[in-house]
Amino acid sequence: MKKRAIGQSGWLWTSLASVVAFIYFFPVLFIILTAFRSRSDTLATPPKWIFTPTFENFYHIFFRSMANSTEYVATGFHVYFFNSIYISGMSVLLALLIGTIAAYGFSRHPLRGNDTYLFIILTTRMLPPIIVIVPIFLIFRITGLAGTYTGIILMYTAFNLPFSIWMMKSFFDELNTEIEDASRMDGASESSVFFGVCIPQVKAGLAATSVFALILTWNEFLFSLLLTNKLTRTMPPAMARTIGGEINVDYGLLAAMICLFIIPIFLITYLLQNQLLRGVTFGTIKK
Amino acid sequence: MSTIELQHLTKAFGDLIAVDNVSLKVEENEVLCLLGPSGCGKTTTLRMVAGLEVATSGDIFIGNKNVNNLDTRDRNLAMAFQFYALYPSLTVAENLANPLFAENLSSEEVKKKILEVADILQLRDIVNRKPHQLAEGEKQRVAVGRAIIRDPECFLFDEPLSRLDVQLREQMRGQIKEVLSDLKKATVIVTHDQLEALTMATKIAVMRDGLIEQVSSPHDIFAKPNNTFVAGFIGTPQMNILDCNIIEINSSIIKLKILEQEVQIDFITPLNVNKNDSYFIGIRPRSFELVNNNASDNFSGKVDLIENMGSEILVHIKINEFTFRSVQSRSKNLNVGDIINLKPKKGQVHIFNKNGEVIRNE
Ligand SMILES: Nc1ncnc2c1ncn2[C@@H]1O[C@H](COP(=O)(O)OP(=O)(O)OP(=O)(O)O)[C@@H](O)[C@H]1O
Ligand SMILES: [Mg+2]
Repeated sequence: MKKRAIGQSGWLWTSLASVVAFIYFFPVLFIILTAFRSRSDTLATPPKWIFTPTFENFYHIFFRSMANSTEYVATGFHVYFFNSIYISGMSVLLALLIGTIAAYGFSRHPLRGNDTYLFIILTTRMLPPIIVIVPIFLIFRITGLAGTYTGIILMYTAFNLPFSIWMMKSFFDELNTEIEDASRMDGASESSVFFGVCIPQVKAGLAATSVFALILTWNEFLFSLLLTNKLTRTMPPAMARTIGGEINVDYGLLAAMICLFIIPIFLITYLLQNQLLRGVTFGTIKK
Repeated sequence: MSTIELQHLTKAFGDLIAVDNVSLKVEENEVLCLLGPSGCGKTTTLRMVAGLEVATSGDIFIGNKNVNNLDTRDRNLAMAFQFYALYPSLTVAENLANPLFAENLSSEEVKKKILEVADILQLRDIVNRKPHQLAEGEKQRVAVGRAIIRDPECFLFDEPLSRLDVQLREQMRGQIKEVLSDLKKATVIVTHDQLEALTMATKIAVMRDGLIEQVSSPHDIFAKPNNTFVAGFIGTPQMNILDCNIIEINSSIIKLKILEQEVQIDFITPLNVNKNDSYFIGIRPRSFELVNNNASDNFSGKVDLIENMGSEILVHIKINEFTFRSVQSRSKNLNVGDIINLKPKKGQVHIFNKNGEVIRNE
């Protein structure tokens, strides 16, 4: 694809694209601006667009605490932020590991009724989580998984697996199996065919799958709300608690948290964007 | 010892029998060409020999050892794949070097071998390119190179020259033949190009719908086809296969009714045929002589169409609504509309029963 200068595509398209982009990014922009407003500026109606930026909200995340009616309670941000990274990271890695191996199996060594199995795996994602949350909650209570890292990581791994299997299978299906056969002829063992020949060819797929799984897990709210406790909670329910239904919601604090919350996912997506682009457009620009 | 033997080899994909009870033997120093139309099971047969496909039933022996339960990498074979199977991220040289990893050679030896193979296959200029920068014909030659760079027990080639232009194909045919004859290994070459088979093979196996129709030397498969399929498949232009009826048998001389004409043909020796029965008669377009007057031993017909074949012409002759074809020299000056007489050459007429099986001279 050739890069075109903006001027070439015409001012009409450029301005149209800018308008669409602005509409999309407006909420994000608003949150970012809010994070830098002082408490009084935040509550001003109509919103104040010109204001003196302040870091006081960010300072409060770490060094003060949030208002909970009359008391001050520590935000515990560093704990929840670490939890989010640890839990999402582990569960995405696990889902990717199991999903890739399973996908390879489904693609290269189909079972009798292969498609049925694949379909059944997908059906687990057809129900909205809220429907299954009660039985899962009970299972977690009985098995003692409730509130543990292991529990929520397993939950998210299961949550990400169907998608990972399907996506990785489509990448394996796209490969030329003759290359694998050729390396078998060259003396490669089955494991070096998998690790040495197949995996390098689906790098883009691994990147795309992990980013999608990561975004889903990072933003997941319901499971985390019900299956974690004070120590293992992730960011989304933790942030919800700063709203908490109180009268004086600290929007500035919340906005500052959101700003920090989107940084990791933003960075990872940015770093993997080339792989990602190839990943999501696979099949169309192959060969 | 380098031999390949297949015994009652069968492969079914669900309901489809891709390879049906195939038995073959390739001796040391022999080049067997598997020849057949697309989809007849050639690649599947080769893949079973390589251990890339598990046979439904039957046995495979390599060097007289049963390899049914041996993994591909333990069979010590080299194979050139139909669709090249080059590693996309490696250069031509690295692709060529890959089969050598298992052999623990020094990097000088590897380099030497790569250049040797690159010379044979005229790849010298492109050894540092990646597969996506190559033309189809170049990729194919790299694929062949990857097979011949090693010293395996046996060689397998799946359509090794199909994407080359005529000139290069002729050259490569010679090169590969030379390489193979130096190595003295049992070799199987899959092809649907009969010229390739006729020139490279010491033995040809013609396949159709998973079945082996005939295994013979290149000359015999051309001169003594076992059935109408082989007769029609081998040789260009295609053999004329016509319905006929036997009117009179007089020792080796048989009077036939072909296309409503009565023609006497001398089969040299008596044939096991019955009077008044129907048969197929097969005569190659090059097996006709042009004669001046209509006699009891020739056909007479009208020239319907003349196709140019370079120094020769392919004449379509129409007799009573049927056409058959004959190759004639350009110097004969034939024109559309001429009435000509064609006499089948002695000993070059094939007769088949209604099941298509040949009836041989006793
Ligand atoms: N993995 C498979 N699953 C199902 N059917 C298959 C499979 N591989 C091959 N076949 C079928 O088996 C038959 C023989 O295939 P094969 O590839 O051996 O043909 P071929 O003689 O090599 O043809 P070509 O000259 O086109 O390469 C075909 O009908 C094909 O569709
Ligand atoms: Mg084939």
